[in-house]
Amino acid sequence: MRLTKRTLAFAAGMSIGLAGAWGAGLAAENPAHQRHEAMETVQESFKPLRAIAVKEAPFDAAVVKKNATTIQDKLKEAHGLFPEGSDGGDSRAKKEIWTDRAGFDQAMKDAIAAAGAMAAVTDEAAYGNALKTLGGSCKNCHDKYRLPKQ
Amino acid sequence: MRLPSRRTAAAIACVLVVAAVAFLRLSQADPLPASAIPAHAADRANGEVLFHAGSCFACHKPPDGAARASLPSGGSPFKTPIGVFYPQNLTPDAETGLGRWSEADFVNAMTRGLSPDGRHYFPAFPYMAYRAMKVPDILDLRAYLASLPAVTAPAPRHRVPLLGLARRGVGLWKRLAFAQAPFAFASASGGGSWTRGAYLVNAPGHCGECHTPKNLLMIESLDRYMAGGPHPGGEGKVPSLRGLVERKKYKDAADLALALQNGEELGYKDISSGGMGAIQSNLAQLPEADVRAIADYLVSLK
Repeated sequence: MRLTKRTLAFAAGMSIGLAGAWGAGLAAENPAHQRHEAMETVQESFKPLRAIAVKEAPFDAAVVKKNATTIQDKLKEAHGLFPEGSDGGDSRAKKEIWTDRAGFDQAMKDAIAAAGAMAAVTDEAAYGNALKTLGGSCKNCHDKYRLPKQ
Repeated sequence: MRLPSRRTAAAIACVLVVAAVAFLRLSQADPLPASAIPAHAADRANGEVLFHAGSCFACHKPPDGAARASLPSGGSPFKTPIGVFYPQNLTPDAETGLGRWSEADFVNAMTRGLSPDGRHYFPAFPYMAYRAMKVPDILDLRAYLASLPAVTAPAPRHRVPLLGLARRGVGLWKRLAFAQAPFAFASASGGGSWTRGAYLVNAPGHCGECHTPKNLLMIESLDRYMAGGPHPGGEGKVPSLRGLVERKKYKDAADLALALQNGEELGYKDISSGGMGAIQSNLAQLPEADVRAIADYLVSLK
């Protein structure tokens, strides 16, 4: 068979496609990777909330609601992505998540509730405390259940 | 095998005896006498500042769910490669706390790592840093602790192999470790806030205990001062505190001060985990000027 430019391009395209699909498949099966992605979104959504708190941006109830809702959704998603044995590797999940499952679940529930309360904030006076509670719930869980950086 | 001659046996016995005597002498406690403690009218409020600056409560906080959990009556087991240590009760209970300690006892614990009965403390209790504290500050801290309600809470015995012998070993280790001069805060000269920060970070704050890597002798390696390294808990790393602004970790000293005061409550995501969350909770209770002083000093480390 003569290798034409077209067959070469086809072969190259196929291998890239296959590799991509394989990579995506791996990511989909890997809860540590998925929860990491969810947490990255949480962190991104926290930024506009922080900007309001340090007065880099004006208080805007719509912005608060949108970002707090995203945080809540992503926390719920992440909470379901801690099956037993999904620690190790690049994951910073501590073994305590599974040895103290009730404590971990409670910490997650507190964070999800705090995000819900944040989404309901419509006046600036309540904003500071709602953010403290939400950020405090992140800290509480990270202090107990997240390893230091590798 | 032929038995050694009587003469060889005697020589071996002599060497052993000399070695044992040398070990016992070199590892002996060397406490400050009570007469060396200056007269001082204690300032409890300053003592409370030092209590937070030293994050005493990070280690001496009783485990979750314990009664009177807001008092420094013990602590969670402190796991190290040498063994497991149980932080002591710092409340003024006479039997299980510091109730019977004299001023000299407290100063000896803080600056020489000695118990009132002359045993060596393991350096998991960071006296290597505290020995750079000013004695009046130490006495103020003692006055603050003495003002807390007493809680009866005996600390379990440390789980270290050959505990008694290991303690004497600490005595030998101290001879090497103390030979390295303590942080010379008096010669620090970068201005009021910076100098205050240098003191808080290096003496009560004992930041270097985790952020400065240790050499093979478990002594802080000063050429890698605050450069970060393996986490003492065994998993993960402790970040470097050098070049915090240059490496874009924080915008400036004001940003770092906000991070220390608020941590993740303001979305500073790198200030929890590995024990730093508990430290940050303690530092958040310092007066604002002291937090800023710590930040001013830290951002100056290049």
